[in-house]
Amino acid sequence: MAQTQLIILMTSAALIIIGFYSAIFVDNIIKKIIGISFIEEGVNLFIVAIGYKAGGIVPILMPDMNTTWFASNAAYPLPFGLVLTSIVIGASTLAVMLALVMVIYKKYGTLSTKVMLADTSKQEEYNE
Amino acid sequence: MLELVLCIIMVLSAILALIQKDLLKTAILTGFSGGAMAVLFQVLLAPDVALTQAIVGAAIIPVFIALAVKKTQREDS
Amino acid sequence: MNELIPLMVIVPLMAALLISAFSRFNTVTKIFALVVAICLPIIPLASNYGLHYFGGYEPILDNVTNAVYHPAITYSFTFLQQVFIAMVGLLTFLVVFIYLTKYRKVSGPYLFLLFLGTAAVTAMLLTDDIFHMFVFFEILALAQVGIVAASSINYSYEMALKYMILGSIGSPMMLLGIGFLLAMTGTVNVTDIAAAVHNGLINVTSPVFLMSLALIFFGWLYASGLPPFHTIKSGIYSKAEPHGAALLQSFTVISMISIVLIMFRIYSTLPIFEVLIVFFSILAMILGVSMALTQTDFRRMIGFLAVGELGFIGLGIGLGTQFSITAGLFQALNEIMITALLFIGFGAIVNATNEVDTRKLGGLLAYHPKVSLMLLIGGLAMAGVPPLSGFQSKLMLVQASLSCGFPEISILAIMVSIATFVVFVKTYYSMFLKPKPNDLEVENKEVPRAMIFAMGILLIIIILLGIFPDIVINGISNFVGGIL
Repeated sequence: MAQTQLIILMTSAALIIIGFYSAIFVDNIIKKIIGISFIEEGVNLFIVAIGYKAGGIVPILMPDMNTTWFASNAAYPLPFGLVLTSIVIGASTLAVMLALVMVIYKKYGTLSTKVMLADTSKQEEYNE
Repeated sequence: MLELVLCIIMVLSAILALIQKDLLKTAILTGFSGGAMAVLFQVLLAPDVALTQAIVGAAIIPVFIALAVKKTQREDS
Repeated sequence: MNELIPLMVIVPLMAALLISAFSRFNTVTKIFALVVAICLPIIPLASNYGLHYFGGYEPILDNVTNAVYHPAITYSFTFLQQVFIAMVGLLTFLVVFIYLTKYRKVSGPYLFLLFLGTAAVTAMLLTDDIFHMFVFFEILALAQVGIVAASSINYSYEMALKYMILGSIGSPMMLLGIGFLLAMTGTVNVTDIAAAVHNGLINVTSPVFLMSLALIFFGWLYASGLPPFHTIKSGIYSKAEPHGAALLQSFTVISMISIVLIMFRIYSTLPIFEVLIVFFSILAMILGVSMALTQTDFRRMIGFLAVGELGFIGLGIGLGTQFSITAGLFQALNEIMITALLFIGFGAIVNATNEVDTRKLGGLLAYHPKVSLMLLIGGLAMAGVPPLSGFQSKLMLVQASLSCGFPEISILAIMVSIATFVVFVKTYYSMFLKPKPNDLEVENKEVPRAMIFAMGILLIIIILLGIFPDIVINGISNFVGGIL
C-alpha cells in the first residue's frame, strides 16, 4: 500500500521542519540541539522509507527460501545499512555538542544562545 | 493503522518536547519520539535498524540530554 | 602494491586509536606518533595505482542490460589521489613534529584528533562511494571541532560549538540529498550513479534530481567554507592553534575538492551546476578578500584570504573544461602548502609576542628575520608572483577563463589577486617594517626550530612546483581527462 510510505514521508518532512524551526528560532541551546537531532531522525526515517516495500518481507535470507521469490519480495536492505551508521553518527555528534555546552555553561551561567554564541569578535572588543 | 498512530505520537512528542519549560521533561519526551521511531522502523521491515534506534533513540540520547540538563540548569528561562 | 591502498586510511586511524588508548606512556607515544607520521607521506608514494574492492566483491556485469554494478565500497587510487594524499601526509608529519617538539608532555587526545582528521580526508579522496564519503565527512567535522576546542585560545569552545551546530544542520541536508539520489538510482556508488545519469536511466530535469543537487551543494558549501559559511570558517582557523590551523585548512581544501569532483561526475550534465559553482566561487573571492582588508587580527586575515583562495579552486572546476579543472586542482595543491606556510609562520610570531593585533605590532624584522623572509615569499606565492607556484596555477586559471569566453572572470581573478597582494603587504608592513611601537614588549624568544624546519620544507616545495609545474600538471590533466 503506497499510503504507508506517504504517511512516513510526510512524518519525516514534519520532523525536519520542526527541527529546523527549533534550530533557528528557539533560543535555548539544549532545545536547539534537540531540534538538530530531530532533523537527523527525520532524514533517517526518510531513508528507511526508501527501502520499504509494501507487502514485502524482512530482507533476511533464510535457508529454506527460494532466492528468486526472496529477491522479488524482500525490502531493499541497502538504505537500512546506511541508516544504522547514520543513527550512530547522530548520537555521537549530539554527545559532543552537549559536552561543549556543559563546558561553556560554566563560563556564562545561562543556556541562552544570544549570550553564549554572540559574535566572538565583539566579545573580544568588549573585554578590552 | 499502527504506523499512523506512531507517526502522530512522534510528531506530537517532538512538538511537546520543544514547548516544555522544564528541560528534564524535554529529555523524556525526546525519548518517546525515539522509541516510537524504533517501532516504526520495525513496521517498515528494518528490524536491525529498529534495534539500534531503540537503544540510541529511546535510551542513550535522553540520558545524554538529562545529564547535560543536570550539569547545567533545569529551567528554560 | 595494491594492498597499500586501504592502508592509507587504516594506518592513521589505528594510530589515532592506539595513541589515545596508550597516551599514559609519554615517550612511547611520542616515538610511535613520529614513526606513523613519517609513514604517512611514504605509503601513497610507494603504492601502485589501481582499484581496491572492500571485502573482495568484484564488479558484477549484468548480461541483460550490459551494465556494470559495484557491490563493494571501492577505493580508486590514481595520480591525483597520490599527490594529494602525499601532500596531506607530509603536512600531518610537519604538524605532528611541531607539536611533539613544542610540548614535553604530549596530549593523546590531540594527536588522536590530528590523525583522525588525516584518515578522514584520505578516505574522502579515495572513496568512490557517496555514503562512505558522507561518513568520513562527519568524522572530519568532529575532528575539526575537536582540534578547535583543544586549543587554549579564548572563545575557542564557543567557536567550536557554533561550527558544530552549523555542521549538524548542513550534514543532514547532505544525507537527505544522498537519500534522494539513492531513491532515484538504488545505489550509492558514484560510478554507477554517473552511469545511470549519463545513460538516461533517470530524468535529469526532474525536481527530485535538482533537489538532491541543491542539498548536496549546501553540504559542500558548509564543508568548503564558501559563502555563507566564510565567516565561521575563518573563525575556526583563528581559534585553533597555528599548527592546527595549518592542518585544518588542508582538510577544508581536500574535502572541498573530493566532494566537488563527486558532484561533478554526477551532475555535470546539468548546466545550472556549473553556474552555481562559479557564482559561489566569485562570491567567495570577493567577500574573502574584502573582509580580509578590514581585519586587525592577522590570524583572522589569513583565514579570510584562505577562503578567497578557495574561490579560485571553485572557479577552475566550475568552468568545466579539462584545462580549467586541471588549473583548479593545481591551485588546490598550491593553496594547501602556501596557506599552511602562512599559518605556521604567523603562529611563530604569535608564539614570540603573544599579540595578534596588527595595530599593536611592528618592527619585528629585526627580531625574526628568517621567519619574516619566509612569510614574505609565502605571501607573494599566495598573491601569484612569478616564479612561485601560485603564479603558475593562477596563470592557468586566467587562461582557462579566457579560452572559455569569459574575459570578465579573468579580469576579476586578476583583480582579486592584486587585492590579495595589497592585503598581505599591508599586514606585512604593519607587522615587520613599521617602527616598533613603544609599548610592545618583544620577548627575545627563539622561534622553535621545528617551525623553521617545517616552513623551509614547504617553501622548497612551493618554489619547486613554481619552476617545474609539469611534474604535477600532466598527471592531473590525465586524471581530469578520465572523468570528463
